[in-house]
Amino acid sequence: MKRIILGAASALALSLATAHAQDYPSKEIQGIIQWGAGGSTDTVMRAVTPHAEEVLGGTVVMQNMTGAVGAIALNHVTNADADGYTLLMGAENPMLYKIMGLGDKDYSEFTPISILARGTPLLVANVDAPFNDYAEMIAYVKANPGEVRFGATGPGGLPSVVTAMINTVEGELDVIAVPYDGDGPALTALQGGAIDVMPAVLGAAIEGVRAGNMKPLAVFDVAENDKLPGVPAVSSFNAGYETYLPWGPFFGVFAPKGTPDDVVAKLSDAYAQGAANADFVELMDNRGFTLMGISGAEAEEFLSKWQQGTAWLLQDAGLTKSSPEEFGIARPGE
Amino acid sequence: METLLAFLTVFSHPQLLLLVGLGTFAGVYVGAIPGLSVTMAVSILISFTFSWDVYPAISLMIGIYMGGVYGGSRTAILLNIPGAPSAIATAMDGYPMAKRGEAGTAIGVTTVMSFIGGFIGIGVLALAAPFVSDFALKFQPRDYMLLAVLGILLVGSLSTGSLVKGIFAGALGIAIGAVGRDALTFTERFTFDLQIMEGGISFIAVMIGMFGVSEALMQLHHVDKTAVRQKISRIIPSMSTVRKHLPLSMQTSTIGVIIGALPGTGGDIAALMAYDHAKRVTKNPDRPFGEGAMEGLVAPETANNSAVGGAFIPMMTLGIPGDAVTAIMIGALFIHGLNPGPMLMVDNPDMFWFIVGALVTANCFMLFFGLTGIKLFTKIVEMPRSVLIPMIMLLSIVGAYAVNNSISDVYWMLGFGVFGYFMRHYGYPLGPVILGVILSRLLDDNWRRAIISEREDMGRFFEGLFSSPLSTVLLIAVVLIFVSQTPLWTRAKSILLRRSPR
Repeated sequence: MKRIILGAASALALSLATAHAQDYPSKEIQGIIQWGAGGSTDTVMRAVTPHAEEVLGGTVVMQNMTGAVGAIALNHVTNADADGYTLLMGAENPMLYKIMGLGDKDYSEFTPISILARGTPLLVANVDAPFNDYAEMIAYVKANPGEVRFGATGPGGLPSVVTAMINTVEGELDVIAVPYDGDGPALTALQGGAIDVMPAVLGAAIEGVRAGNMKPLAVFDVAENDKLPGVPAVSSFNAGYETYLPWGPFFGVFAPKGTPDDVVAKLSDAYAQGAANADFVELMDNRGFTLMGISGAEAEEFLSKWQQGTAWLLQDAGLTKSSPEEFGIARPGE
Repeated sequence: METLLAFLTVFSHPQLLLLVGLGTFAGVYVGAIPGLSVTMAVSILISFTFSWDVYPAISLMIGIYMGGVYGGSRTAILLNIPGAPSAIATAMDGYPMAKRGEAGTAIGVTTVMSFIGGFIGIGVLALAAPFVSDFALKFQPRDYMLLAVLGILLVGSLSTGSLVKGIFAGALGIAIGAVGRDALTFTERFTFDLQIMEGGISFIAVMIGMFGVSEALMQLHHVDKTAVRQKISRIIPSMSTVRKHLPLSMQTSTIGVIIGALPGTGGDIAALMAYDHAKRVTKNPDRPFGEGAMEGLVAPETANNSAVGGAFIPMMTLGIPGDAVTAIMIGALFIHGLNPGPMLMVDNPDMFWFIVGALVTANCFMLFFGLTGIKLFTKIVEMPRSVLIPMIMLLSIVGAYAVNNSISDVYWMLGFGVFGYFMRHYGYPLGPVILGVILSRLLDDNWRRAIISEREDMGRFFEGLFSSPLSTVLLIAVVLIFVSQTPLWTRAKSILLRRSPR
């Protein structure tokens, strides 16, 4: 114990000297995970970080900071010193905080270190549901308005975006949206028959589909996914989806804006190499995530495109608290 | 044969055996400190064991889990401060025993009963996992809601003295649990536009404050009084004591396994429900409940340890976590390249039997570590109060901070500590407050889910309620328990009894 305290004290003394990329990292880096232990953001970050640490030659102490849909963690990191010693490990949600009235900050306050991977949404149904694919589901919903129960995870969550997409492409569908606090509990409810259909990220549902405990209706992408051969892409049912797809939630590591460029470069490099590790690649592939590993201007561009598309989709579906326009988020294509 | 080999993996590898033992030992102490939770320990272990093989990593986690669930009872008995939410009920009869100098007996009974409960949970996991998980999946939002209502009715048995004060305390707990951004709609509730309220009030902070700090403040009243000397001559309970409580422990273990297997409810609710059950079925306890009844220790301790085996049931069969700890273990399996899910049992049956084996080992270690070292632990209560009180305060602050590494949790904890002190002073029970906080979201979220599912139509809601046998049974249980606590029941009983002799 004494040694740890001594170590911490000496690390503190070292940090008083101005941070420079040459000696970065000279102390422990704090990684704040936006979501709870055991969730998909948590698992991805805990899986990639040890590989990045090896490259970096330092330690990243990861900590879950939950609450207020991740806004507490985001605010914590924006308030920290922009010295590369406090990082945010998060998912896509902050990009919607502003329009959803959940906060006044998003990733524009950050420099992306690495956008690690992107997930693909999958529409799954209870095994006993009276439809077997996407087209049958749409027909059934239209014939039985107000009967089919869709799982949801609150405004701005993946199911709300996918449902907004369906409503935009197919015209308003009369379904019941039952809210759950996460896709895990909602998929459990799906298997128990409390809900009929759930839009979920492929990785969360894949094992249930493999075991035959849930029925895949369509992959929300422009092409079939090689993890689930035979499950048609939703654009094969309706070409109208091509405007919005590919779309998916993503995971990324971020540093507060103002972090020295050389530190950002060093971190980006470490995470890029870490994400290329064979173990990590296999792990992500097993769960059907698409590896991205982008940083710098490429990542910035991805983020702003993602935000524009999603924000306006939600705005047009009438799900937002305030218009994207108020925050200078341009309509895609404008 | 292969199954047996997988089951015996832990025993045949000294390294794994050592890790399970180490984990259990650490778990007992982590569990005993309020605020340091098993969930936290296991999530730290994920990063720590990242480069290890999967077996050693899981061995260590299982040890911590088993030991930690048990460890919460230590401080509950000795200091009246539950080390974990699942030990709240244990404090109610355990602490009065310690005050009489019978802490040794209390710990002994608790340990043996935890051991029995743990085994029943593991037994059900090993033999009936698929059936139990099918049953657990049948629970619809309305059933969870009814379960929560059933839980709220425990206020009656958790209130010592005035029932009105108990109901007030329970309602306060429900309100505390509702504070913050609602997880279903993201709307702010009871936040008064203050940023500190947005994340809600940490339940653990409330618990530590109400039990830990308020206890320290109460003890200040008699700071000069010498501590009770603890009798520790007989720790291991006699065979007859164990046999006497065996029927009760079977019933409460069943409660534990089922509540543990339900995704969304865990050992804390199981222990409280078991305590209530014990109070209901025990006709003539040696001592009244709340004053050191042995049954009041047996019930919650068997239930929370059998809930461990229960929590693994949906995890192993469906890849669905039964509680917060198993949720993290699913993440760990995933990181180690396994695909936790319904196919795990098919693709990798050895994993299942290995986990069962590790749980059995952890349970045995728990018995061993539980029964040794009691002398050292009881020394804690024999310390002069001028040392003990600051120590309780220090532990409370560390614990509250550790929950979410947030200083505002420490302020909440201190605030609720002072508040809890005054509540005690005016005879308001604290148990129902915690009960309310635990059940608040379960009740609220599931009520909303249930009614939204029925298009906000009460007619359809009741139709659904009566068309499902499970919901009907739960509703009848709720009505019966409610009626049994009103004068109507005694009157009905007296009429029936008068009639029956004829």
